[in-house]
Amino acid sequence: METVKIELAQGERLERVLEEQGHADWHVVQQTGSVLRLFFINLDPRDADLHVCVEQQGPDCVTELYALGYLSGSAHLSLQTDVRHRVGQGRSRQVVKYVLNDHAQGEFYGRLYIAPQAQQTDAQQTNRNLLLSPEATMRTRPQLEIYADDVKAAHGATTGQLDESALFYMRQRGIDPAEARRMLLAAFLGEVVDALQDENMREQLRRRIEESL
Amino acid sequence: MNIPLLSIRDLHASIAGKEILKGVNLEIQRGEIHAIMGPNGAGKSTLSAVLTGHPDYTVTGGQVLLNGKDLLAMAPEERAREGVFLSFQYPVEIPGVSMVNFMRTAVNEKRKHEGREPLSASEFLRLMREKRALLEMADKLNNRSVNEGFSGGEKKKNEIFQMAMLEPCLSILDETDSGLDIDALRIVAQGVSRLHTPDNAAIVITHYQRLLDYIVPDYVHVLADGRIVKTGDKSLALELEEKGYAFLEQ
Repeated sequence: METVKIELAQGERLERVLEEQGHADWHVVQQTGSVLRLFFINLDPRDADLHVCVEQQGPDCVTELYALGYLSGSAHLSLQTDVRHRVGQGRSRQVVKYVLNDHAQGEFYGRLYIAPQAQQTDAQQTNRNLLLSPEATMRTRPQLEIYADDVKAAHGATTGQLDESALFYMRQRGIDPAEARRMLLAAFLGEVVDALQDENMREQLRRRIEESL
Repeated sequence: MNIPLLSIRDLHASIAGKEILKGVNLEIQRGEIHAIMGPNGAGKSTLSAVLTGHPDYTVTGGQVLLNGKDLLAMAPEERAREGVFLSFQYPVEIPGVSMVNFMRTAVNEKRKHEGREPLSASEFLRLMREKRALLEMADKLNNRSVNEGFSGGEKKKNEIFQMAMLEPCLSILDETDSGLDIDALRIVAQGVSRLHTPDNAAIVITHYQRLLDYIVPDYVHVLADGRIVKTGDKSLALELEEKGYAFLEQ
């Protein structure tokens, strides 16, 4: 189990891509104006249990957590996030996208805490999942605890199937259904890829996703 | 006599157990434009869905031949590669799939089917540019997601743009004029007219005569309650516009 404890000093910036980690436990404390961007990429059908806890202790911090999972077989992927806004003017984004095949199981527990003094916090959490098989399951539990009144906090969670009307539209243009599915899944997961700032890393991850699909 | 491009014989089809098409007969030769008009619920959109192989519809009887081949035995993508194109009444938005990626895949699937080499990147981009100009569409189309955030007019132009890219032998335009302002209608209709050749054919499904001012049909059919109840030339469309469908019952 990898346990990581980090404190980001004033204005410090950290972007990390964690690929295929089976277990991870991250604790990050952010001081004024620091930026944290973490990517959890799980394309390999192995079990994974990921925890990340971030505490914004200084104002004007940015926390961005992205997770992307493509699971098949009987793989189990669990992600637990805990983002705590202790002070005001912080910003946080969480984007979690899973594609589940076969008997795979996914879990996302996302906690968002906004302290009473953390005014003008801007926090968003989204979790979107696609189930490709009737046996795949997804559990999602957003947990928002908001104690300040002048904040923007949004969350959304959806779990559904591949868009059949898009699939038919693509087939009507002559595209093979297997290829159309691959294109739709790559597009679905692409939102996380696009968030990477380094173009080479984006390209590399896009290729890895195409290979997995 | 040449083999007709499309031959529909006594076609019956249903959705969710409800019979919508109740014996449609239609023959289309290359070079012809056929307009299909008719009241709501007559089966116009069902006909286009059945011809393109939409999985929600069940064919319960009859036969459809495209160039003498059994169209109904083909999967939707095979029909497309054989040259059947549907301009959707409600084009689907596909977030995250760029037009350039979508079109390159579609064009090259069709070329592969015809035993031709895929287009090179530069040939493909040149083709995109040429066809975009026909529909007066901006360069940025290439990198936009398919139909995502497009206005109603842009979506319909994008359908005809795709038709131009794929050069189908049979185009089915399902209410391509609905939701278009007069300028978009002109661009879309002129695009369709320019794509019409003696080698291809079109089925134009519409409620309104105005589209037929631009796309002049050789035949006008009235579909009512799952059957073609009247066939005429373009003057039939004018007569329908004037008198409504009720006069057919007289």
